[in-house]
Amino acid sequence: MSWLVSPKGKRYTVAQMRWVTNHEEPLVRTVAVSRIYRRGVDEIRALDRVSLEIPAGHFVAFMGPSGSGKSTLMNLLAGLDRPSSGEVWVAGQRLDILDEDELAAWRARHVGLIFQFFNLIPVLSARDNVALPLLLTHLDKRERSRRADIALRIVGLQDRASHYPRALSGGEQQRVAIARALVTDPDLIVADEPTGDLDARNAETILSLLRRLRSDFGKTIIMVTHDPRALRFVDMAFHLDKGTLLEGEEAARAHEAIVVAASGGVVGHVLP
Amino acid sequence: MNYLKLVFANLMRNKLRTGMTFGAVSLAVMLVVFLLTMPAGLDALLNSVASNTRVSVHNKAGIVYSLPYSYVRKVRLVEGVAGAVGTTWFGGAYEEEGRVTFPNFAVEAEHVGAVYPDYGIASQHLEDFRRYRDGALVGRQTMKRYGWKVGDRITLKSTAWAIDLDLRIVGEIPLERSPVVWIQRSYLDEALVAQRGQGLGIVHVIWVRLEDPNRVEEVMRTIDDMFRNSEAETASETEKSFFGNFFGSLKGFITIVLLVTFLVAACVLVIAANTASMAIRERSSEIAVLKAVGFPRRVVFASLLAESALLCTSAGVAGVALAYVFTHGLRSFAAVIPSLGPLGSFLITPAVAAQGLLLSVVVGAVSGLVPAWGAARKPVAEAFHELF
Repeated sequence: MSWLVSPKGKRYTVAQMRWVTNHEEPLVRTVAVSRIYRRGVDEIRALDRVSLEIPAGHFVAFMGPSGSGKSTLMNLLAGLDRPSSGEVWVAGQRLDILDEDELAAWRARHVGLIFQFFNLIPVLSARDNVALPLLLTHLDKRERSRRADIALRIVGLQDRASHYPRALSGGEQQRVAIARALVTDPDLIVADEPTGDLDARNAETILSLLRRLRSDFGKTIIMVTHDPRALRFVDMAFHLDKGTLLEGEEAARAHEAIVVAASGGVVGHVLP
Repeated sequence: MNYLKLVFANLMRNKLRTGMTFGAVSLAVMLVVFLLTMPAGLDALLNSVASNTRVSVHNKAGIVYSLPYSYVRKVRLVEGVAGAVGTTWFGGAYEEEGRVTFPNFAVEAEHVGAVYPDYGIASQHLEDFRRYRDGALVGRQTMKRYGWKVGDRITLKSTAWAIDLDLRIVGEIPLERSPVVWIQRSYLDEALVAQRGQGLGIVHVIWVRLEDPNRVEEVMRTIDDMFRNSEAETASETEKSFFGNFFGSLKGFITIVLLVTFLVAACVLVIAANTASMAIRERSSEIAVLKAVGFPRRVVFASLLAESALLCTSAGVAGVALAYVFTHGLRSFAAVIPSLGPLGSFLITPAVAAQGLLLSVVVGAVSGLVPAWGAARKPVAEAFHELF
């Protein structure tokens, strides 16, 4: 029996999780996905036959130690990489059969990306950074600017639109990056350690904002994180280790370890 | 926000580096354009001073060797010759002891008009040149340089004949860049007889004007055949060829300079390529992010290439403009500084300007090609793997 663990520590089978999410067709689905890197004669199995489903409109965390394969899995779901074997389906599109250029075109329409180090273009203002993905659309300049302003308003930075990244705090830069991920109205938002370079207060702000994108705008969000605080904001967490998706007791133990870490070791205060 | 703004913003990211690259390409294009004008400039100079009906006859051994003066009369009798004048180097120095600052020759005053009708010398000046034995005709450049005017009296100290001649300027040779001064042969001849009991007796070059430009080769051959196996064999050549040989050493110099210019252009290409490569490498993470958000490889490639192309092309325009200003400056100075010589004749033609711009476009395209292609073709996952 395969198990997934809810943020509150409840264990579900994959089938139950699908039922829990109101029987919706999953936005994301992988079938026995593996990713093998070759370094000379060595083979590194970064991901090993991972199958999962993520319903639309959910905020999901991929958790696990370094080298567990969570970023590799995120890259596959975001269309940044292709699996060595298996199938990857997102928003009805099978990604593992697309080439580099087709994947780029698909990402431009369907995915918003958020990175740990914000990765804004330093020579562009916040508005221009947000409008950057819209260059790939047929929108005119005025409409691109208008949509960028809307995205900045959603993240609460409408009055910082003309500022350059160097004039913004880390938290503000990450909110600009979120606006950039949001501006094309993608089906899926993928965030790689979005709180990894932020202090606790800014991390909370970012997690709240991502949560609000899910609740107010129905966005599906996948977040790779080490941050145990994230568990309070996500709908479900997938635990990975050594390239495999943990299930059952293993998943529960991994989850509890994170909860303990988040509580500072006082387990009883956190677990139900 | 548009692509041009993105390209421009990236160019302005490091203003010092962009400025230095701009300056290097500008100066290189300026140098190349200026040097490319040299062959055409020399040709234009030769065409401006050389007539297609005028030939020179000089000693086969070289122009420093003389010919008997009797040759001049014989040449005038050759069929097809409209006029001939014997010229003898006087080598007169004015004021500056022992230093000849303009070419000056003793000529036969009565034959100058027949050989140089295209010079446009006023008939009154020619008449006065014939009338006054101490008369001199002076080129406009030398007139301007020394502030002389018709009627002035000057003294030239010959470095060739150890004699001083007092001269009266009776007219001007109205060619803008002509430095030459002609004095009466008979005046020099008399002065030499008086000083050493022996007249001139020789000429250095006989300038001949022909009636028909189509018979140039035939007449030259006739003249040279006439003096074959004599004490002083002659070598005839067209005026353009004569001046071309005169500038021969300069042409060799230009060939070397053009070679150096090519190497300079190659160096600038390498520098520009290195700059483009550094600029792109520094932005690897940004380029990876651009690709991650969906920018296709061709767009990434084009925008990166556009940066170096825009930089180098604008620098090329500046370089051509600089060369234009430089050559016009030289042209202005050449009127008052004769030592600039033919440099004052070099002007940028549209063809040369186009070659300069083409060079800058090529530098821009080639220098950006490899780094832009390398950055664009790298799979986004690989880029992320290397960077994050």
